[in-house]
Amino acid sequence: MLAMDQGVVEEWLSEYKTLPDSAVSTYASSLKDKGTLVPALYKVIRENYSDLLEPVCHQLFDFYRSGEPQLQRFTLQFLPELLWSLLSASAARDPHTSGCIEALLLGIYNLEIVDKDGQSKVLTFTVPSLSKPSVYHEPSAIGSIALTEGALANHGLSRVVYSGPHLQRENFTAQNRVCICGYPRQHMRRYKGINTRLTVTSEFLVQLITGIHYALCNGEVELGSKALDDVLYRAQLELFPEALLVGNAIKSSLRGAALKSNNKEGARSIQVEITPTSSRISRNAVTSLSIRGHRWKRHESQEVSVENDAALGGVAIPEISVTGVSGERLPNGDSLRPRSDGRAQPDGDTLGGASEVSLDPRSHDSGIRGQEVRRQKSVRRMVENEDAVDLGSPDELMDISEVDEGVWPGGMGPDITPPTITISNSVTTLNLGAKAMKKCRLVGRTSKDKEAGPLTTGRAASENTELSLKRLTLTSSQSVPKAGALTSLTRTASAVFSRSFEQVASGNVPSSSNHATAETARYSCSLQEEGVGYLSPAPNHTQRSPSISVHLGTDL
Amino acid sequence: MTARKSGSRLESEIERCRSEGQWDKIPELVRQLSAKLISNDDLGELLLGECKLQTYLKENPIKQGASPKGPNPKLVEIRKHLTAALDRGNLKADYLQEARLLMAKLCYVEGEYRDALDHYSKVNLDDMQLVGSPVYRLSIIAEAYATIGLCLEKVPVASPSLSNTESPLSIRSMTEREQKIITCYEKSGDIALLYLQEAEKALSSGIQNRSPKPGPTGQDQELGYFLETGLQRAHVIHFKNGNLTQGVGRFREILRAVETRTTQNLRMTIARQLAEILLRGMCEQSYWSPMEDPPTVSPLDDPTRQGHTHSKNYSLSRRPRVYSGENLFCPQENTEEALLLLLISESMANRDAVLSRIPEHNNDRIISLQSASVVYDLLTIALGRRGQYEMLSECLERAMKFAFEEFHLWYQLALSLMAAGKSARAVKVLKECIRLKPNDPTIPLLAVKLCIGPLHWLDEGECFGKMVIDMGEKAAEFRAKGYLAIGLVYSLKATDASLRSTQEDYQRKALGAFQRAQSLSPTDHLAAFYLALQLAVSRQIPEALGYVRQALQLQGDDVHSLHLLALLLSAQKHYHDALNIIEMALSEYPENFNLLYSKVKLEAICRGPEEALLTCKHMLQIWKSFYNLTNPSDSGRGSSLLDRAIADRRQLNAMTLPDFSDPETGSVHATSIAASRVEQALSEVASSLQSSAPKHGPLHPWMTLAQIWLHAAEVYIGMSKPAEAAACTQEAANLFPTSHNVLYMKGQIAELRGNIDEAKRWYEEALSINPTHVKTMQRLGLILHQLQRYSLSEKVLRDAVQVNSTAHDVWNSLGEVLQAQGNAAAATECFLTALELEASSPILPFTIIPRAL
Repeated sequence: MLAMDQGVVEEWLSEYKTLPDSAVSTYASSLKDKGTLVPALYKVIRENYSDLLEPVCHQLFDFYRSGEPQLQRFTLQFLPELLWSLLSASAARDPHTSGCIEALLLGIYNLEIVDKDGQSKVLTFTVPSLSKPSVYHEPSAIGSIALTEGALANHGLSRVVYSGPHLQRENFTAQNRVCICGYPRQHMRRYKGINTRLTVTSEFLVQLITGIHYALCNGEVELGSKALDDVLYRAQLELFPEALLVGNAIKSSLRGAALKSNNKEGARSIQVEITPTSSRISRNAVTSLSIRGHRWKRHESQEVSVENDAALGGVAIPEISVTGVSGERLPNGDSLRPRSDGRAQPDGDTLGGASEVSLDPRSHDSGIRGQEVRRQKSVRRMVENEDAVDLGSPDELMDISEVDEGVWPGGMGPDITPPTITISNSVTTLNLGAKAMKKCRLVGRTSKDKEAGPLTTGRAASENTELSLKRLTLTSSQSVPKAGALTSLTRTASAVFSRSFEQVASGNVPSSSNHATAETARYSCSLQEEGVGYLSPAPNHTQRSPSISVHLGTDL
Repeated sequence: MTARKSGSRLESEIERCRSEGQWDKIPELVRQLSAKLISNDDLGELLLGECKLQTYLKENPIKQGASPKGPNPKLVEIRKHLTAALDRGNLKADYLQEARLLMAKLCYVEGEYRDALDHYSKVNLDDMQLVGSPVYRLSIIAEAYATIGLCLEKVPVASPSLSNTESPLSIRSMTEREQKIITCYEKSGDIALLYLQEAEKALSSGIQNRSPKPGPTGQDQELGYFLETGLQRAHVIHFKNGNLTQGVGRFREILRAVETRTTQNLRMTIARQLAEILLRGMCEQSYWSPMEDPPTVSPLDDPTRQGHTHSKNYSLSRRPRVYSGENLFCPQENTEEALLLLLISESMANRDAVLSRIPEHNNDRIISLQSASVVYDLLTIALGRRGQYEMLSECLERAMKFAFEEFHLWYQLALSLMAAGKSARAVKVLKECIRLKPNDPTIPLLAVKLCIGPLHWLDEGECFGKMVIDMGEKAAEFRAKGYLAIGLVYSLKATDASLRSTQEDYQRKALGAFQRAQSLSPTDHLAAFYLALQLAVSRQIPEALGYVRQALQLQGDDVHSLHLLALLLSAQKHYHDALNIIEMALSEYPENFNLLYSKVKLEAICRGPEEALLTCKHMLQIWKSFYNLTNPSDSGRGSSLLDRAIADRRQLNAMTLPDFSDPETGSVHATSIAASRVEQALSEVASSLQSSAPKHGPLHPWMTLAQIWLHAAEVYIGMSKPAEAAACTQEAANLFPTSHNVLYMKGQIAELRGNIDEAKRWYEEALSINPTHVKTMQRLGLILHQLQRYSLSEKVLRDAVQVNSTAHDVWNSLGEVLQAQGNAAAATECFLTALELEASSPILPFTIIPRAL
């Protein structure tokens, strides 16, 4: 070390000590003008045995503790070098030389993990959810939110998650408090090693990769990708899925990134081009969106045969709820059909899988269907304008279905009609929850007999059971507004199902206990196409009990 | 159509066609119009000019960056129409403005930028009404602003100070001009968004009124060059100039406007780009929320241009509708915003997934795959940063519709499932990855890791391990890992095997594999360590000591090596040395419970039970501080320890359970897994009955706690203090009332109190939960012996020996029973075996050390 460097460092040491408090900030901004200081300090750190090391570490810590951002940054710039020095010393099993460096790092760490009031910092993070409206979207406009288990579990509320980039270190907080020397041990565990192979954790590598990512995108392309490759190799050797996952993603996303690094200038620049707004995907290609439209068309053209199809398919399609008088059969839920004829989308049975059950109201079709959609949409808008609807709760859900399909066409005979409940909630069977599904299947099985036909079965059953027969019709109306709400609804669907049942049950059969009712009650669930269900809150004339019934007819 | 329409009806029909861009219908409507009133001729010219210009642009779209095409007969014709409309001056003011703007647009198309600007100067665009004007006029105004911007960019500055470029005045005028251009584009973009919203509204309400008539809904409205430029050019310029703050602000403005069908693709792109910027170019400190004003000085902006930026300085009489309402989610942090944007982008990309596999759609498929993969990669970066692997695995699961034969997507899904703790599914997906990329040794190794660890699928694990080995030289440095993996599989199989010959066979195979691994990778401490562990398990203590020393030379602070060393020393009855090693290891790993369990055992021997009890107390303190940090009650899906444990529980993660639940069999053993699962299930049921039970958190910490109490109970039993032991056991029983360990401990306490019958009952209950719990079997055998039911006792003890042939006390008890039955020869054999085994018996079974990749 040259005498000149030593002089510079010594001057720096004494200058700060004599500084009055008021002059600190001007001093801080003047630091960057001391051109020879930084290289000289690097030399001090590199030379482990320098006498200056201890006062330098001490002063760097004072800088960091001062709270003056520019002083803090001044200290931080030496962090990589300090770490390297510590690691190489400990790898060489020579821990004594790095005592003051270790103390400095520990000090910084301990300052870093607490907030201003000395409370330990907990970084929170809200997981956004598409089922909740945000400044950038409206749940209903997102046509299809995959109904995964997690989406259902999280419905509606974006949960606050305790997390943070420094989580591993947050865990050390307690260690630090319980036994003051917790951190250095953790520190050793993490970094110490032999033959430069240090023990690392997957979480640590992920943080490392995050840092490298930032460097990669901000001017250090070459060094960054080199480092990334090294870390990925290490992750491969250690079989760390987390680090591999994030590292692979960064590697693959750097191709064709919007943010390109300008290598020559070393500065960051962003290139964004004007992109064509029309879809680059040709119109006749089958996409996940268009394939849904496809089904719709078929349905319209052959409504009757479709019914038969579905009924004969012997799938989980339940028997059809029949409004007694007209004896009309309901068109079955389109949503179920694919399961019967094998054109099932991958969403079929795997609850955890990517399932898209809701129908995007903005599909490409034209014609009647288009109108239908738009009608629904406008209804939705209407509902929204009323502003009361959050669609988080089943009650609101009922509101909507009333608005949507609220006309009772009349012609309903007063004489038959077992009480029927409709939950018109645009939920397909897939999402009804196990409870509902079971019941659907139950009925489905009984109506499997093709010759007997669904109608007879239904009729016979209804006649037999008369008053005790309860019928639940689940109107699965695919295009019911708030497609986005489907996600949030599904979870409550089965709850609604059972709740409404209980209401009717207790009202209907006052003499018997709920339990008995449950046993005698029989359900038939029908999944029907949108637009054909009418919900009537009208009381049934001959029935002793009030009931909500649903009757389905074809929409004109 | 042929029916003559009344005047107002006709006008509204024209307005509708203009708004919906149905230019082909205009000529017919113009014919009807001029048939009514001569004075409509000028309007007719305007309309014809407009519709021909639009049709021309549709047929000859302007490309970004392309130069104008010059004169063209069609354009000449259009000019004729527009000139005619303008010249006579009979047009109403509104229409006159429209005609001027159209003329200017025509000039731009012809490349006459100055002429265009001249025409624009005759119309005061800023005064044109946005409120209450017909939809099509919004489009005309938006296009006009965009065109002015385009013209200004093309026309060189015609200021006299041009010659003197050095002067500060000219620099200022340059930036002023630039600002003017940007303002034009921003206005154009805002009005374009408004136009699109209004057009869509009109379209849908129109459809509702005219019921059966199919509208032009099938086709998407296309924006065209001018509106596209207007919407995007402003932020392009911002970013080109290094004005990140303003670029981000502009992105947000566009995204906050309620979407229309036409803007969907734009939104998808912009959302993704903004997410990229948020993830790559911004840190937590420089972030500002979308609802806040941007910082005036930001490190994000190009410092050389700072001070030249202008804040937005225009207002419009009407702005596009933005998402509004109560409780709108507004991100507060860059990862949150990035995630929200990516989720939106993902939902759109997903919808565009091209499913058909026919060759003609190859290109479409590639496009849809690319745009989706970019989004999924960014999602991975964002969610990985926050440790949200569970959510990530769900997202990537949705990507599967793109994934046919796409290795990257499959692999990422597998890794995310693995990180989320969904091991069984991860293995299935990894199989597909292996099919797609059969030469990558990492993939089968990841699969073995899962099979050995959480899944305990040893046969599958063997297959995957063999795959790596079969790669031979191609696997390079991973070959050693392959041998290590397969050695672990054999080692675990040996522990599981109930036939002695099978056990020995697997032990031999495991040793062979570990030796191979060590020879291939002599610097890997794991190879030496597992070799040592395997030798220790087969009670070759001196050899094991040699290898563990080797392992420690390679990795001096490896916790498992240190633990094994201590156990080996305890097997040689060097208890004090063992305790020293444990204490040294604990100085590096103060919260390692496995080490602490061994410490308790050793202390009880070396320093007396009081010391051991102190250690138990210390363990309880550590437990409290360790798990209190993250509050168990709010079990968010974070990456904290508790969340990990939740994931473990969801998977019924077998790895952690036996480790902590069964100090005897130590790490994984097939029957103990079953027992642990039963234990877990029963405990859950039991605790759900009594709601006051203090556990809503994950299992793993609670199991640790129960374990600590049981260790304490054992120390008390060693001190012959049944009351204290019972109290400790009760603590454990409160957590896991049906654990076989708890029941076993209760049996021991009963024995201590002299209640033989009660003890027998407890032991029998313990065995009904875990039929292969050797310690219980041994105690039960002893009791049966005391009750003089020799043959039953012999049966139980023989079964115990079958399960674990190295349990010396079982051999000893068996010898005693045989002796009591008068079978002296066999008894001698047993005693000798017991003696031999005891000489190499560690303080805790070697298998307490986890075996995992």
